[in-house]
Amino acid sequence: MKKRLLCALLALSLLTLPGCKRDPEPVEVTAFAMDTVIQLTAYDGNTGGTRAFLGELTARLAELDSQLSATREDSFVYAVNHAGGEWVEVPDSTVFALLHDALSLCETTGGALDITAYPAVKAWGFTGEEHRVPSPAELETLAEKIDYTAVALSDWAGERHRGGAALPQGMEMDLGAVAKGFAGDLLAGEVRDVGITSALLDLGQSTIVAVGSKPQGTPWRIGVVDPARPGSYFAVVELEDCAMGTSGGYQRYFEQDGITYWHILDPDTAAPARSGLVSVTVVSPCALTCDGLSTALFVMGLEDGAQFWQDHPELDFEVIFVTETGEIYRTAGLEGRFSLAEGYEDREVKVLE
Amino acid sequence: MKTRVILFLLLAAVGVSTAWLLLRDGDTDAPTARILRDGVLLEEIDLDQVDEPRSLVLEDESGSNTVTVEKGRICILEADCPDQICVNQGWISDSTVPIVCLPHKLMIEIVSGGGALDGGAG
Repeated sequence: MKKRLLCALLALSLLTLPGCKRDPEPVEVTAFAMDTVIQLTAYDGNTGGTRAFLGELTARLAELDSQLSATREDSFVYAVNHAGGEWVEVPDSTVFALLHDALSLCETTGGALDITAYPAVKAWGFTGEEHRVPSPAELETLAEKIDYTAVALSDWAGERHRGGAALPQGMEMDLGAVAKGFAGDLLAGEVRDVGITSALLDLGQSTIVAVGSKPQGTPWRIGVVDPARPGSYFAVVELEDCAMGTSGGYQRYFEQDGITYWHILDPDTAAPARSGLVSVTVVSPCALTCDGLSTALFVMGLEDGAQFWQDHPELDFEVIFVTETGEIYRTAGLEGRFSLAEGYEDREVKVLE
Repeated sequence: MKTRVILFLLLAAVGVSTAWLLLRDGDTDAPTARILRDGVLLEEIDLDQVDEPRSLVLEDESGSNTVTVEKGRICILEADCPDQICVNQGWISDSTVPIVCLPHKLMIEIVSGGGALDGGAG
């Protein structure tokens, strides 16, 4: 009897062993696009097929990038920027949707996000040229030309009547603050469509999209960079079918005469946004919202940013703010998904209700 | 007697497969830095085996990066790229976020070595 029991137990343990087999191997694809490194990771049984699929996605990204780049002379955005006020045909419905969504986010944020700041970005040298500090008079002139309401976009009426876009002479747009978020939503949709239930789409760390959860069923754990020590993470956010985006003054900057100038510009002044914040992280199911709002809330500052969060529940987003003095604020909706990272457990986190 | 043999074999099978599964998990612990240019692997360095800090200069037509390795960590010490983002990032010692020099299409990633996070934002 004893023996039979033992045999049964052993047989059972043999049966359950395959259960602890390791997760499916991740399939990873890395690509350079949209001025960043894109890393797509998917867990799926069919490794070969998944690799080919992720390859197709990076090709789509490159295609989108070729229309959105402000520096490539054959891109749609370049054409609009150099058409001298003339209409330029929108190449496809994807680009139209991006432009439409971007303008609507500019409007919602009251211009804290503005896609027409490109001449100012260039003047500061944040497009790869030599960094320089423009004079106050130059900044004033630049600020006058930042106005997303001047972007004309006609309705899209199908392939036969594509929409057009136009910008007044002397103005230039750049979709850098929203393109990665938009692309994240687009790619996540395609990943879900082919039935992949576990994937992490990293669009250059500033935008991360989680499809489903990890293969074991637990949420993806994403660190948030400590603006004071960009090599470490002060917090961990758990994502499940959700995206996050971070804007920080430490991401791109230069120093001159002891002053730090970062790449996030205030559309009102054409100068680096000094709102008292050093980093803003937005968590939302929509990656475009994460991308665009992290920039906008950085410009608004803590007080206005928190107010914006309260006023716009329809945007379905949560925020983590870090101030120049190192204070950490988070919105109430992150309860259960936010934790302080190892080594930061004693930091105070103020919860915005 | 026969049952004993079967029992023994069963026990042995369970033991071996358990050990194999456990060991398979264990062998991913050595942190290895991989340096890639435009997706092509240039160097692979076992960071646990670095006893003396050393530097290597990686050059191509786009420019030059000086990479420094110490035991358990790696950084880009100097670069002639315009934005200096790779230099400003400092040391990395786990797989959370790679160092990237976009103008030179250079990427340093650490594989394995644990790291409780799946990614980093910022």
